[in-house]
Amino acid sequence: MISVNSTPGGIEVSGYQIVLVPVQEHHLDLLRTWRNSDFVRQQMVNTQLINEAQQGAWFTKLKTDSSQQHWVVYYKDTPIGATNIRTSDNTPVSEAEELAPGLYIGEPKYQGNIIAFAPTLALYDYCFDYLKINALRAEVKQDNIAAMNYNKKLGYREVDRKDMVTLMVDRESYRADTTMIKRFLSR
Amino acid sequence: MSNQEKLVQAFSDALGIAQDLVQDTLEYNTIKEWDSTAHMVLISELETVFDVMLDTDDIIDMSSVAKAKSILGKYDVTF
Repeated sequence: MISVNSTPGGIEVSGYQIVLVPVQEHHLDLLRTWRNSDFVRQQMVNTQLINEAQQGAWFTKLKTDSSQQHWVVYYKDTPIGATNIRTSDNTPVSEAEELAPGLYIGEPKYQGNIIAFAPTLALYDYCFDYLKINALRAEVKQDNIAAMNYNKKLGYREVDRKDMVTLMVDRESYRADTTMIKRFLSR
Repeated sequence: MSNQEKLVQAFSDALGIAQDLVQDTLEYNTIKEWDSTAHMVLISELETVFDVMLDTDDIIDMSSVAKAKSILGKYDVTF
């Protein structure tokens, strides 16, 4: 379903009509614009505006941090959003048994569109089939009903509810719950 | 049954909503009944009713009732 290629910038993942391109320096202005938009920011745990210097420090750290990977989502050669995976304990992604994914669609035209599932499917296939992890863990704000519903379509089940709601999905649940949507996005 | 009537029936059945709610202006994700799962059911219903197989790009682009008509037009379904 997906193809995974090693590039000078990192791992590139293609499938379900989209390409996940490792974040590079030339993406930073666009990423910061998206990240600071009201639509994206209000979904974040940290809702503060990010300035260029903060982002630069983040990007510098990213280059040597094996516990997280970040991509820009391309649809029809156009960047539409960003996605990432990270471990919770600084274990390298390549050695993780569990990962926390993140995604936002920054391009307004594609927010609330069915295409929002495509980068997630590509990313989760990569996590389960290539990285061989056991489970994905998502933390969602209690009032973010859209994210809650979105995650449940992917097979997530709620495992804890405090300030944030914790959801988890394993390979079997993910596969079972995404069969139909994969079929439609793989024609 | 006209194609317009078939379309309204398909939306109504797939989304589980009253037929009078199926207006050109109705958009994906603006009512709780038209979520991603219902969207897939809707695509299946439209493909069956109009005997077409939609491209993935068209499935992604089908963001409203009006857009559905426009896309089905590409498959020689007239309204």
